[in-house]
This record gives sequence, structure tokens and C-alpha cells, in this order.
Amino acid sequence: MRIYEELFIMKPDTPEEEIDQFIEQMKTVVTAASGSVDKAEKWGKRRLAYRVDKYREGVYVLFQFNAAPETVKEFERRLRVSDLVIKFLTVRIDQTLKRLDKRKKERDKRAHRKATAAPAPAQPSVSQQMLGGGAPGEPAPVAE
Amino acid sequence: MAESRGRPGSAGQRPTGGDKAVATQKKQYFRRKKVCRFCVERIDDINYKDVRLLSGFVAERGKIVPRRISGVCAPHQRRLSDAIKKARNIALLPFAASI
Repeated sequence: MRIYEELFIMKPDTPEEEIDQFIEQMKTVVTAASGSVDKAEKWGKRRLAYRVDKYREGVYVLFQFNAAPETVKEFERRLRVSDLVIKFLTVRIDQTLKRLDKRKKERDKRAHRKATAAPAPAQPSVSQQMLGGGAPGEPAPVAE
Repeated sequence: MAESRGRPGSAGQRPTGGDKAVATQKKQYFRRKKVCRFCVERIDDINYKDVRLLSGFVAERGKIVPRRISGVCAPHQRRLSDAIKKARNIALLPFAASI
């Protein structure tokens, strides 16, 4: 099982109900193959950066799901066959998520260490100062 | 030192040799040190969906800004260019923008 992200663009002139219907349909594609849909977001109508199939804008839909590689194949086939979808992009994100998680953990750990360590070095430095203050005092009697 | 020597465009004056040091000294100017924005702001995730972030690293014509200009560090530039290319693929960013 891998985590994927699928971003696809639907024709801007599709009625709202049809979009919702299509999203539900795609959800069943994943769940039927014993995968799980984590996210199904509709971004709404957006301007495209360039013309795609003579369309200057499109309805973006974002899916995030956990599924086997074969499921993605089927998912993409459905998107390709559908007349409503003009463009799609599949990205595997489980490795990225893992990396980000690791980075975040490291960062938290460092922050935690800093938070706990910050008062600690302050104390030694104070004691060092005390030592430093005491040190000249100590040799002085010896010299005397 | 090597940097400042390579910089001046006074190659024609150089062969005299004797006043080389003077020439380089005259040509000296200060440049601000560039820093990687992703390192400074601690942005771990350079996501292709974040158009607002990516568009800051794309030139007017839609080209990816080289890191010698933007100052982004190598590992981040790699991720950044990947993200920009993905964003182009899904029509979030242009391949070639008309001005």
C-alpha cells in the first residue's frame, strides 16, 4: 500500500452535480480495491496557466488515497476514459511524507533540546563566572 | 581574492601587470550575501500545489530562476525545480508565459 495524491482538472462547463457524482464514483474505485480515500477536495474553478483542450479554466479536484499500485493504474485509466477530465497528475507522496515527518521530528527534538539546554548553559556560565571570579582570588593568597 | 580578480571587466588594462593590484582595489564593491529562503524560513515542504510560493521563483517568462540569482541552496533548488515542473504539468504554472 502506498499513499498517492491525484490532482485532476475537469471541464469548467460541467454541472456541479456531475462533478460530485464523478468524485463519488472515483472514491468507489479506490475503496473497491480495498484502498482508503483520505481526502477528496474540490478546489473549484481556477484559471489555467495555459490552454488545455481549448479551455482556459477548469475545476480542480484533489484526491489523497492509500492504495496498491494496480489501483492507481485503474484510477488513471478511468480518468483518461472520462470525457469530463481534461488533465491529471498522480504523485506518490508516502516517501515525501516520511521525509517531512523525519525532518519535523528532528526539528522538534532540537527545539526541545534547546529549550531544556538554554537554562542549563546559562547556569554553567554563571558558575564559570563565579569560578573565574574565584580563580584570581585563589592564586592571590598563594602568591602572598 | 580569486573572486575579486575574476570580476573586473578591465582585462584590457591588465597586461601591464604592475598596477594590477590597484585596478582590483579600485573595482571592489560590496555585494550582499544571498541566503537560501527555504533554509532561513525553515520551509521543509516545497509542494507543487503551493503556487504562491513557487511563482516567486519563476521569471516573468515562466522560466525557473537560476540559483545564482535567487540564492537558493542546491538541495532546495533541486526540490524547487521538481515542484515547479510538476506544477507546470497540471497547468498551475505556465511552461512559457506571454508577457
